[in-house]
Amino acid sequence: MASYSVGVDVGGTFTDIVLLGSEGTIHTKKISSSVENYAQAIVEGLAEVFRETGLGGDAIEEIRHGTTVASNAILEHKGARTGLITSMGFRDVLEIRTLRMPRMYDIAWSKPAPLVERYLRRVVDERIDAVGAVQRALDPRDAERAVDALLAEQVEAIAVCLLHSFTNPAHELLLKKIIEKKAPALPCSLSCEVLPEIKEYERTSTTVLNAYVTPIVASYLKALRKGLDNAGVRARLLLMQSNGGLTTDAAAAERPIHIIESGPAGGVVGAQVLARAKHLPKIITFDMGGTTAKASVVEDGEVTRAHEYSVGAGIMIGSRLLSGAGYTLKVPAIDLAEVGAGGGSLVWIDAAGALQIGPQSAGASPGPVCYDKGGETATVTDANLLLGYINPAHLVGGAVKLNAEKARRVFAETVAAPLGMALDQAAYGAHLIAASNMIRAIKSVSTERGRDPREFALFAFGGNGPVFACGMAAALGMKRVVVPPCAGLFSSFGLLYADVEHHYSRTFRRLLRQSDPHEIARAWDALAKQALDQLAVEGFTGKRAHLRRSAALHYHGQTYELTVPLPDGPMDLNYLEEAFGREHEKTYGHRAGEDEPVELVTIQVVGQGLHEGTNVPQRVRPSRPEPAPPPPRRAYFGAQIGWLETPVLRRSDLSTPRAGPLIVEEYDATCVIPPGAKAELDTGGNILIELG
Amino acid sequence: MDPIEFELFKNAIFSIADEMALTVFRTTYSGVLKDNMDYSTGFADAEGKLVAQGLTLPGHLGSVPTAMQSIMHHYRDDMQPGDVFIMNDPFDGGMHLPDIFVFKPLYHEGERLAFACTVCHHTDVGGRVAGSNASDSTEIYAEGLRIAPLKLYDRGVLNKTLMTIIEKNVRLPVQVFGDLRAQLAACHIAEKQFAGLVAKYGTEQLKLYMRETIDYAERLTRAALEKLPDGEWSFEDWIDDDGVDYGKPIRLFVTLRKKGGHMVVDWTGTGPQVKGAINSTLSYTKAASYTGVRSVLPQGIPNNEGVFRAIEVICPPGTVGNGVLPAACAARGLTGFRMTDCMFGALAMMLPDKVKAAGDGGNTGVSIGGYDAGRKPFIYVDFTCGAWGARPWADGLDGNSHMFANMASHSVEVTETEQPIQFLAYEFVPDKAGAGKYRGGVPFRRDYRFLEEEGVLQVRSDRRTHRPFGLYGGSPGMPSENYLDPDGENRTLPSKFTMTIKRGQVFRHVLAGAGGWGDPLERDPAAVLRDVRNEFLSPAKAAADYGIVIIENQMDPKATAQRRAEIRAARGWREVPKLQWHDPLPRETGTDHVFVSAGKAENVVCP
Repeated sequence: MASYSVGVDVGGTFTDIVLLGSEGTIHTKKISSSVENYAQAIVEGLAEVFRETGLGGDAIEEIRHGTTVASNAILEHKGARTGLITSMGFRDVLEIRTLRMPRMYDIAWSKPAPLVERYLRRVVDERIDAVGAVQRALDPRDAERAVDALLAEQVEAIAVCLLHSFTNPAHELLLKKIIEKKAPALPCSLSCEVLPEIKEYERTSTTVLNAYVTPIVASYLKALRKGLDNAGVRARLLLMQSNGGLTTDAAAAERPIHIIESGPAGGVVGAQVLARAKHLPKIITFDMGGTTAKASVVEDGEVTRAHEYSVGAGIMIGSRLLSGAGYTLKVPAIDLAEVGAGGGSLVWIDAAGALQIGPQSAGASPGPVCYDKGGETATVTDANLLLGYINPAHLVGGAVKLNAEKARRVFAETVAAPLGMALDQAAYGAHLIAASNMIRAIKSVSTERGRDPREFALFAFGGNGPVFACGMAAALGMKRVVVPPCAGLFSSFGLLYADVEHHYSRTFRRLLRQSDPHEIARAWDALAKQALDQLAVEGFTGKRAHLRRSAALHYHGQTYELTVPLPDGPMDLNYLEEAFGREHEKTYGHRAGEDEPVELVTIQVVGQGLHEGTNVPQRVRPSRPEPAPPPPRRAYFGAQIGWLETPVLRRSDLSTPRAGPLIVEEYDATCVIPPGAKAELDTGGNILIELG
Repeated sequence: MDPIEFELFKNAIFSIADEMALTVFRTTYSGVLKDNMDYSTGFADAEGKLVAQGLTLPGHLGSVPTAMQSIMHHYRDDMQPGDVFIMNDPFDGGMHLPDIFVFKPLYHEGERLAFACTVCHHTDVGGRVAGSNASDSTEIYAEGLRIAPLKLYDRGVLNKTLMTIIEKNVRLPVQVFGDLRAQLAACHIAEKQFAGLVAKYGTEQLKLYMRETIDYAERLTRAALEKLPDGEWSFEDWIDDDGVDYGKPIRLFVTLRKKGGHMVVDWTGTGPQVKGAINSTLSYTKAASYTGVRSVLPQGIPNNEGVFRAIEVICPPGTVGNGVLPAACAARGLTGFRMTDCMFGALAMMLPDKVKAAGDGGNTGVSIGGYDAGRKPFIYVDFTCGAWGARPWADGLDGNSHMFANMASHSVEVTETEQPIQFLAYEFVPDKAGAGKYRGGVPFRRDYRFLEEEGVLQVRSDRRTHRPFGLYGGSPGMPSENYLDPDGENRTLPSKFTMTIKRGQVFRHVLAGAGGWGDPLERDPAAVLRDVRNEFLSPAKAAADYGIVIIENQMDPKATAQRRAEIRAARGWREVPKLQWHDPLPRETGTDHVFVSAGKAENVVCP
């Protein structure tokens, strides 16, 4: 009998469920999220899937879950009432932040409110110096006073971050002991455990965020487990982490800091696995939904990760040069560049008469004009409709009816007329400018990192990704586009391909040339042991527990690091130095002379729990029959080509190669293939498009 | 012109400027450069007119055009492919000596089409004090290596003589060369990407679009200016002194003349240039003026020549806003920040409900330098600021960079790892923010303990005698403070000084509090209670400034009503004062008196 695994991605509007059988059948379900209790929609959605497929809870082997429950708690300030204990003199590190603001000349800027107000921040009289020596010992009575004060304020979680605790955790551990004694059930996050790395603001912020979301994540996971148990689903529950690896529900409840950006990670990981299977060494993923578009790079089968990011900064940042928005989190996360461009992005004309797109969005309500739900401002989706790219009558298999006439009228009056352009040209212009905004996201993960996009394939998903993909690829000189199965709910689908993964890091500053390789190797071994212990708890041992080591380095005196992988085997510091030099040259086009010393800053270990065999079926088949193909329609491809009669296909129609112009219409996404391009289906069910 | 094609071009050219800035950011050696974002990158047309700036520091808007003018003046007819120019001379297009400009002309088939431009603040360029930013030098010759506009590369060949001169005259050549490499890498990236644009658009179309990018910014700026009232407004503020002539205040005076889509910012009336090193250059004064005006314009106007066409800046030579040889100018940052605040004052007279009160005065500079036992030099340079003036709709920000710079603080732990310095405190100080319906930002203090045998401590601060002003009834913030060994001798130090510091000594700097906005008696009592609870405000000060009497964490309504009536009577305001430099009621220990200005110099008495 076939076994099944389930991918569930919960977003603000929709909960997407994908059921994959070991023999390759796919069953998908899109239902409204239950905002009050996200777990409820999952359980109800699964019940519907069981009804439709005739399966029972015992057929499910594993549930893989991407969730925004932690990030929502932060964005909506609904986390725990948290107390913070810091070193005396440094009570305000959390609130002073780095001083920087994300917008220039903005007199109306408000800093994000600190997640722990000042009266809930207490100090203890202690000091550990830069090399880890105790300069002023922590008096247990002083520590007790600080803890008592917070307990009197009825905090629901406590974070502790003392200066230099990453070199000597003694004082933080003493505080933990006292907290455990006085309030055994209270969640407590120590900075030396959450993030043993240098830089007090980043470490404090990360530790506070962990404490802040612990109660809400723990109770959510408990409720979900209970709901699944009641529904007869005994399968284990794995959570997607921001870094692209899965973790168990128990580990996620302990260190929820790793599942903050759980949502968008699934799609990138799915793309990574498909790219490996197709032997595509270089892809750029492009995920476009209703309000934002995200890009990331997968190179040689590996996703790229950022080691620090801000929760809730998102599209607030006009430029990657500016920081200071949102809440800083220093844990590895898939490096996504995000721009405020989606199907709902507004189309408008600025004071100097230029056509602009977003970042304001019509959102789900009122939505684009063509949804006819009260939206009166033209959007990118309206432009796509007027160009014939999306079905003029309905979307999502008929669930959303569209009013093309209204879109036409509003677009003509508010965009085309002021520009003095024909309607089709104005709509095409809006489409191109939206694409050019999104190209900036792609450039920021490629050219700005020294990578040439022409060497990459564009891997497009999200409801709107495949509408734009070919045009954007052409503009960037990219030759190939891949549109995976279930493109519209690929974030859920991708969950099915992920592995269990845990990241550990520690600050370990040493000049390479003056270091003892054995000492460095021992430090790495300690991290490796942590990783192996955690994997063993989850049942991954022997060959199924895989370790990867890497190092963050810079030239002595630089303030920004580059990360390079470390091969297995004995520690070779010369190799490390050379690998760093090469990476510096690759990324920035230059490297320093021989005499400039390279400094090791952070050591990192990733522990992976591997599946037996592959978890990717050779071929996937949708369980739902495809509808009858819609009639061809006219689509606009720019002033030079103009309007063309364009066949509208189902995905399966591409099992024999076809030449553009073509439109592939599916339940969850639409793909536009321009004239001059060729498209066909591969054995894995992906649409492969070669641009002319 | 096709508006769509143009928009695409604009995205492309600004993304090159940003990409240059990111290259510098990621490869720099200098903390000043990375944490203070003290660098900029840009793109100019064949005539050196700024088309796009990858702006990281508002203080640099205006720098590239002035420097480009100087390059064009010297080399217009002596430029070849492969040339790279370098300069830092404040009296020939530069700003202050640590800011080194690197420019590369970009060619296609022998025709010059554009320039890639970078400017970076370097850790040290020599001179009498480590870090090359002492405020008490009295002539440019003491401040470090002065580089006239020169060719760093001549047709692709490195000028080794020049490199050797630089190497032998700066304290940390590895850092300086590392940062110069970052600048060259940014130019290199610009050149590569620009070639892509040439291939795509062709030279004629490219030139047309670059011109249109400038015109577009001008149209946006003028359209925004049109919406502001026409008229003339003046404002006066004072810098305490220049750190050489102690106690001799320096006058800043600005007049805004606005008509239609054009604004003149006229600094005539500003005091003569001074002996101390706080003389600004015209380019920097322009940047301060643009920053003020842009804060009341909508977001999103591109940074280029077009903006400068709509905003004209005048500042007579020989003033502290436009120093001439041999003016020392290393610490001119102070003057730029304060000119920005002066702009806010004038704009507040023009637009009462749009502009903030004075903040802490911009950044305080602290540098500690010397040699360790092995004669290895160390240089620690810290700039810090953090309290915004109150706004007509909200409190001033607590712990946020001044708008003229977008700087970040260094990590305490990293500094302690790399420098012979230990921090004893970095935290907010209560009771220093100016009261108001919306209060000023709360300042912080920084306590530095010195760990080497001996070093030179040099400090540039201000807002000691001339406090950050409050607006429309808001009180001014409390002055800045400097102390030596606060837990021992606790000696008060002047606002600007250079001294020898020994192992174990502690220097404490407390920022000035920011000015408030609106009548403090109109402040929401819940906001006052919150500030008391968070220990930003003591109960005594809540009663004194806001008339809010707190007993056991609760407001006592009766006592509060009585206290407020007393304050009202004692103030005797007929209408709220537009501007306050002193507390509305005398303090028990102080000798402050009230004076009010309508924004005209004649009304102001300087103590």
